[in-house]
Parts: sequence; C-alpha cells; structure tokens
Amino acid sequence: MEHSFASPSGHPQPHQRHFNPYSENGGTILAIAGANFSVIAGDTRQSEGYSIQTRYAPKVFRLTDKAVLATNGFAADGNMFVKKVRQRLEWYRHAHSKDMPIRAIARLIQTMLYARRFFPYYVYNILGGIEEDGSGAVYSFDPVGSYEREACRAAGAAQSLVQPFLDNQIYFKNQTPAHGTSHPAHLPLDHVLELVIDSFTSATERHIEVGDGLEIYVVLAKGSTPQVLDRWQGVTEMTTTQDGERMFVIRRNLKRD
Amino acid sequence: MTSVFSPPGFNFSNQSRNDFIAEKGIPMPKATSTGTTIVGCLFADGIVLGADTRATEGDIVADKNCEKIHYITESIRCCGAGTAADTEFTTALISSNMELHALSTGRKPRVVTAMTMLKQMLFRHHGNIGAALVLGGVDATGPHLFTVAPHGSTDKLPYVTMGSGSLAAMAVFESSWKPNMSRDDALQLVKDAISAGIFNDLGSGSNVDACIITASHTEMLRNVEMPNQRVEKERQYRFARGTTAWKSEEIRKLVVSEEVILLAGGDEMDTT
Amino acid sequence: MFLTRSEYDRGVNTFSPEGRLFQVEYAMEAIKLGSTTVGIRTPHGVVLAVEKRVHSPLLESASIEKIMEIDTHLGCAMSGLTADARTIIDHARVTAQNHSFTYDEKIKVESVAQAVCDLALRFGESVHDEEAMMSRPFGVALLIAGNDELGPQLYHTDPSGTSMRYDAKAIGSGSEAAQSELQDKWHKQMTLQEAQILTLRVLKQVMEEKLDQHNVQVAQVHSVYSHPFVHCLTASQVTAEKGFEILDETSLKGVIELM
Repeated sequence: MEHSFASPSGHPQPHQRHFNPYSENGGTILAIAGANFSVIAGDTRQSEGYSIQTRYAPKVFRLTDKAVLATNGFAADGNMFVKKVRQRLEWYRHAHSKDMPIRAIARLIQTMLYARRFFPYYVYNILGGIEEDGSGAVYSFDPVGSYEREACRAAGAAQSLVQPFLDNQIYFKNQTPAHGTSHPAHLPLDHVLELVIDSFTSATERHIEVGDGLEIYVVLAKGSTPQVLDRWQGVTEMTTTQDGERMFVIRRNLKRD
Repeated sequence: MTSVFSPPGFNFSNQSRNDFIAEKGIPMPKATSTGTTIVGCLFADGIVLGADTRATEGDIVADKNCEKIHYITESIRCCGAGTAADTEFTTALISSNMELHALSTGRKPRVVTAMTMLKQMLFRHHGNIGAALVLGGVDATGPHLFTVAPHGSTDKLPYVTMGSGSLAAMAVFESSWKPNMSRDDALQLVKDAISAGIFNDLGSGSNVDACIITASHTEMLRNVEMPNQRVEKERQYRFARGTTAWKSEEIRKLVVSEEVILLAGGDEMDTT
Repeated sequence: MFLTRSEYDRGVNTFSPEGRLFQVEYAMEAIKLGSTTVGIRTPHGVVLAVEKRVHSPLLESASIEKIMEIDTHLGCAMSGLTADARTIIDHARVTAQNHSFTYDEKIKVESVAQAVCDLALRFGESVHDEEAMMSRPFGVALLIAGNDELGPQLYHTDPSGTSMRYDAKAIGSGSEAAQSELQDKWHKQMTLQEAQILTLRVLKQVMEEKLDQHNVQVAQVHSVYSHPFVHCLTASQVTAEKGFEILDETSLKGVIELM
C-alpha cells in the first residue's frame, strides 16, 4: 500500500502523508479537596499501546510549598508543560517577591493552555493545594484551558471508572441520607486517603493501562496536625519551610500485570 | 420467499446493511478480544501448552480469569487468541467434527487432522474469523505442535507463541528452550513465558493456565500460577438500608384466591 | 547649565568621563520645573495631591488631569512633562490588566512601579531585534499610590528608572520646601483625613495662587484590602472599598474647608 498507484488518467496522484505528533500514554490521576487539606494522586505506569514504557514515571509534581500539579495524557507534553509552569512560577517569584497563590497558578495554567489553542498540549491537568484562605482546593482543566474549582476530579485512562465512584462517595450522588441526617460537606483526611487507594486498586483491576505504582501527595493547611498520617506506610515529608503548609507523599505498590 | 430454515454456516444477509451503516460513521460493536499470551512447547514426552487468563474489551478488562486452553480431543488441546467468540466457536466446532471423525474412522484422531480442519475453515473465511491458535497434542505419530493464523496459514515448530504477548513469551523461549527437556523444566519454561506476557504485555494478565499432554495422559493445570491476587480494599462499601430513593411505592398481591363453583354434572368424561 | 555643555550631551546613552548621563540629568531638571505634587501614606490609605497651574482665566481647570487611575486599586500623580506620562501610564495600565488577566489577582504596587521603571530606560538608539525605542528619556516623575496585600504604599519613580517607597514625598518645583514640611508634620498614625489636610497645607505653602478646589487635584486609596475570598463586608463597615478614587470638586471643597 506504500507505493503510489497510477490514477485513471495514468499520472501518479500526489498523496499526503500525515505525521501525528501526539501519543497517549495511559495512566490515571485524581485529586480530592478537604476542608483544610488537598490530596493529589496518580499511578506511575507509562504505556504506549500494549507496551509498558516504564513502571515509574511520575505524573504528580510539586510546584510550590502549597501547590501540586498532576498531568495526564501525552507524557512528553505533560513533562514539558510542567517545566514551563515551573519556569513561570520562578519568574513570578522574582518579579513579585512571593510564591504564586494557587488561584493565580490556576489562571496562569489557563492562559498557558489557551495560548496553544490550535496546537494544544495533549494533557489533562489537575491542580491541587491550599488556597490563600487555608481551604483545600482542586482545579481541573481540559487541554485548551477551560477550568473549574471542584471538590474532586479524576482524569485519564480510568476516568470513566473512577469519577462515578468519587461522585458517589464524595458528593454522595444517588445516596439519600438517613432520615434526620445530612451528608458531610468535607470528609476527613484518612477517609479520603482510603477512597484514593481503593480508586487506584480498583482501576488497576479493570483497566489495563493503570498499575505498577501509586504516588499520593497530601498538602496540609497551616496549623493542621499530620498525626492522621501515622497509620499509613511509606509516608515521606516534603515540607521545606517552617510554620507553613506541610506536604507529604505516600508511595504504594499497585499490581504490575 | 425466504425459507424459514437457515442454511448451514454463517449468515451474511446483514453484510450490505452493516457496510452502509459503517459508511455513515456508526462503528460496529466491539467484540471481546483475548489480548492474550498463549504458548506451546515440545518436551521429551509430549507437549506443554500455556495461556494467561485476561480477556479485554478495548482497554477494559472484561474477564480476569477466563479459560483460553480449549478442548479438542482428550489428547489434543488448542489455545486461542484474538476474538473470544471466534476462538471459542471455532475450537468447539472442530472438537465436534474431530469426535465425529473418530467415531467414523474408529481411530484416535491425529493433530494434523485438527490442524487441517482449522486452517481450511479459517482460509475459507478470508481472515474474517479472528482466531489465532496454538494447537498441540499427542497422537499415534507422536507429539505435534502448530500455530494457525487467522488467514489459515500454519507453522509446525518445537516452541510457539501467539497473541499480543507473543514477543515477550518468545523472548523467554529463545533464551531458554532446549530439546528433550524434562516435564518439570518444560512446565517451568511455559510458566515463565506466560508470566513474561502477563507482566510486560498490557493485553495479558492475571493467572497462568497450563496443559501437559503426553501419550498416556493429559493434565489440565488450571490457574497453575496466581501471581496477581486481588488486594484487600481499605474500606467497606455497603449502603445502609434506605439509601436508594424511590418515586412511588406500589404493592401487589401475587397470590390470587378464587373460588370455583362446580355446576352440577356435565363435567364428567364421556366414556361411552 | 549651558556653560557645562559638552559633546557628551549628544548621545542619550553616552556616559561622560565623570560617569554621568547628561540627558537623564536634564530630564530630572524638567521635573523641577513641574507643578508641585505631594503624596502621603498612612495606615488607612494613601493620599495624592497636585497643584494645577491655571495660567489663564479662560482655561477650563477641570481639563487639567494630573492624577490618573492605573487599576481599581492604584493610581498615580505626575510632575514634569505631563504628556510623557501618558505613555508611561498606558504601559502601567496594560501591565496591570495583563497581570489580572494572567493571574486572576490584583498586581502589587511595587510591581507597577517596577514596570514603569523598566520602560523609563528604553530610550536611545535601538539595538537590532529589539522593539523601536524612545528617542529621549521621559521628562516626568510619578508618585504611585496603591493598596495591595501588603497594605497601602506610596512609590516615587523618576526618569533614571529608579523607584523608591516613601511614607511621604513631594516632587516638582516646590518640592524642597514641601518635602521638609512633610518631614516635620508626618507621623505614623495619621488618619486619611489628616493626610488630606496635610497635603493641601503643604501645597498651599508652595503655591503662588490661593488654593481652591479648581487649582488642586486630590486622590486617595483606602487600605481595606479586598481579599479574593471575602465577598461581603461586615455590618460595621458602612462603606465598601472604593479603591483608587479621584476626589470630585464637591468633596475637594469639603476638605479645603476643613484646613
């Protein structure tokens, strides 16, 4: 099929060949906002077609002391995008002598994504962290910059598996509260971590592109106590400043098949 | 006037309609595919066949523990990769025909016979039957191992692999297969080859099935390795009674009582 | 001045052997000819006041515009070649809008002052690839008053591209007398009204004409910082944040009467 065929007129027809600059590297990310914390997680498998490119390629990145960005889609675009966001954060820090607030990072990401409206970064972003008022925040984006602040969001290969679960367990969709009670607006941190882990073990069971490793970033607002993290294995503290927000990462294994 | 009896074989009467629908941009329904790693290898006393147990629908795992080693005869088995329905149906059909063939000839049927029946059927359908098979068994002429591709071509080799994990599995065979291996060594090699597929090919996963066929005995080793046990969940997801909302409630009586009044006479059987 | 003229006057980007850029220094001289402009920072906000020279009875004094808004939370007063200020303020306005467009937050006063200074030095022969630049330094100095997350602030920028933060600052022809008066009278806990009165008293001292609501212009910024998440004000706060506000003649008259 690679050879040019003679057209009915006898002349070889010119035919255009297309280079596709994008690929899809699987994996899933999710983030959940609490009253005074934010949890941002992603699996670490990177694949193309039926092949695993690596079992450890982080999709969740620390941006500032209180902001974390998860990227999913085309890994090369994701990595480049994070690099460019970090560059802009550094410029901002020098120009305005402060760390960029998460609300400003969210708007910056929109402008950066929309700048490539007609050759987009093939990336779904979820930004998590702590707002200026100390509340947990999650912002989710589409590849060209439409964004929204939410309580929870899943994206990537297993979005269709995880988001309905989160809708049911976080927003209590299709659950009527027992008579005389109401559903909580925010869940406690240990409950959220359990939901995150169960989301990923379940997605690993039923989605071929999810697995290998799980990285969960936890950002705690100023003054909140991290004792609840004591019961979890594999917690590493990443906080760099005193008396500010605290950041932790929990690393776990997922099935490798 | 169409007949109410269907002719034997496939029915293609919807083909032109489906082509028309496809041209309108509506995709055909997706068939379950066994993404799959399947292998077979020759050893001193016979054949070892192996398969993973994952079935997929696109990138979703449809079955975590399906069976891909199909029965043809007592001493001939066939691993299937490709469209699940095609491998299941084709092997079942050939199994039936092999039994009929055994009955009419009064002999134990041979592996080549099954192979020939399979390739003729697949060739006849121009690759439309998406079955990629590893056929192995022992007959009067000794152990035999074949691959049958969807278009009907076949290979006869001492070790074979098929499916999306075939490259991962073949890498194991190429590095470690030796002629005249012991039964245990051959089984271990097959387990390793399937495991290579399970862990390195996204289309394959879950458990290892194996089947050891010798002249005297066939041993089906279902889930001989289970390296991907389900991990326990962190939470229980049981809903309290009354969680599901309802719009209206209606209770119907299923037991209907009725009284039968017997009219005098007229109901007796006429015995004249 | 003319006695010291030398060939180093010619190129705007040429240093004299003593290390001076004459054109920049001359530009600073232009400001000393300008009308007196005063700014005072208090914990409650910043006040700007400027003298309007009404040199003809036929001049509509309301058409003299020496204080301009940059964004809702900041503005500036000018002294010197006020025409040059238009270019600067345009740049500052664009910078402020770009910031809120890109970051969904108000730009800091310091960042605006810095943006103005970045522009101030873009004079001289253009280097290839760079945008066409201005032929000479700006002949105007600004007092930028604004309010951000760090509270009310007052910045001074001049043609040399330096910006400095002040508690109180005077520029223009009467600046020397005005500045020493500010030094005497300014104290840490001034109210906004005290600051308004002080600016006008300082102007009054250096002005030739009798000060009234037609020959001065006053503006102020309140210190109520509207946090992005504080949408409603508490009941005790009767007035909502006004941001940067140029006083109209009626309220200006009221302040003058209080002097």
